[in-house]
Amino acid sequence: MSASLKSVLRLSLIACLLGFAPGGRASVDDAQSFALQAAEPYVKEGFQVREDYWGGDLAAGEKKAVRQQLFKGNEYWFWLGTEVETAKVSVHVYDAEGKLVEQSDGWQKGHFAGAHVVPKSTGSYFVIVEIEQSPEERTHWALVYGFR
Amino acid sequence: MILFVKICRLSVTLVAGLALGANAAETPKPVKEVAKPVKEVDKQVDIKQLSKKVDDVVVPLPNEVFGALNKLGGVNWREYVRNEKVSNFTERPRIALLLGAVIADGFIAVQAEDAPTVKEIGQRVLALAKGIGVGNSITPHAKAITEAADKRNWVSVRQELDRTQNSVQQAMNEVHDEKLSQLVSLGGWLRGTEVLTAVVNKRYSEEGAELLHQPDLLVYFESRLQSMPEYNLKLLQDIQGALTEVRPLIDVGNAHISPASVKRINEITTKLGDAITKKS
Repeated sequence: MSASLKSVLRLSLIACLLGFAPGGRASVDDAQSFALQAAEPYVKEGFQVREDYWGGDLAAGEKKAVRQQLFKGNEYWFWLGTEVETAKVSVHVYDAEGKLVEQSDGWQKGHFAGAHVVPKSTGSYFVIVEIEQSPEERTHWALVYGFR
Repeated sequence: MILFVKICRLSVTLVAGLALGANAAETPKPVKEVAKPVKEVDKQVDIKQLSKKVDDVVVPLPNEVFGALNKLGGVNWREYVRNEKVSNFTERPRIALLLGAVIADGFIAVQAEDAPTVKEIGQRVLALAKGIGVGNSITPHAKAITEAADKRNWVSVRQELDRTQNSVQQAMNEVHDEKLSQLVSLGGWLRGTEVLTAVVNKRYSEEGAELLHQPDLLVYFESRLQSMPEYNLKLLQDIQGALTEVRPLIDVGNAHISPASVKRINEITTKLGDAITKKS
């Protein structure tokens, strides 16, 4: 193999590796696939996971509130995910007065988190998502929910 | 250059192979099984600081409210199945509203476990989506709806109806028709509210009426309609006027929504439903 061919091969490998690097082509869609991964076990328990989702990017320590209409009689789970595997995320649900309303079985595991709500009344609720820690300047997140 | 492309393709295959190999070696456990409970959480937050305006609302699917209504018992869903032919329209905003309403009809037919109507609705959705230029994204879903209805697999039909609406809206968003996408949601919400109020009006209960407590959704739809002056359509003006009339009837704080309010909202949404489906 000639030196020039070796250089081309090396360069192309670097170019291709960069293209595959985590975060290089990451998007909210990637974050969504992680949120859906967190939701997967609940489908067997009868939860219908919505196709629609929220997403965006946040800096470490930053929070975002999203409003959600919930109906008394239904049971909801919210799942948050990011493709940044070393990030730590959280999701919590509050009522219109800012009072925490989720059940005690909510959980947090690195770049996944879940919150469980059985609304006591029908109305608007606030789902607060937070990137608690992340090595990235901005971290993509996606929130999906399911109900039964 | 050809050599470079070939080498690059080879490298991609190599890298992808390595990545797949790594994934295969480390099969992740389902997230739920290995997760830990949350630590100390703020029991109270200042919502006004965190959320200043109603934006990015995920509009609930009609079957979210139907599911809650069903748990209150005694709903004969067959009474609310609608399967008459709808008019053909050429105005895109009208088609978008109708598309949302017909998908909502699909959810009603699922509640009624009416397989022939579900299949008809699947085809109607496809025809409407073609009329608005997003038929390609719907074809596989229409097929899946028919197959699931044949097997009376209602869970799958519900999922496919959700996917159908999502695909339609995504296709619209991709061509920067976000406003049409919002009209699909609005059409579904109006049809869902029409049926909800019809059920509660027939057999009033405070719990049933409470399901109408959706003030932020009304604010959201009103603001979206205000941002569509280019759609110079009387129907949209009528919907805007109707939402303004409905808002004080449902925005009652901790009080109960009265039987009279339920009846009035049903009259309003039924009138709008007729206007969406029929040529004037």
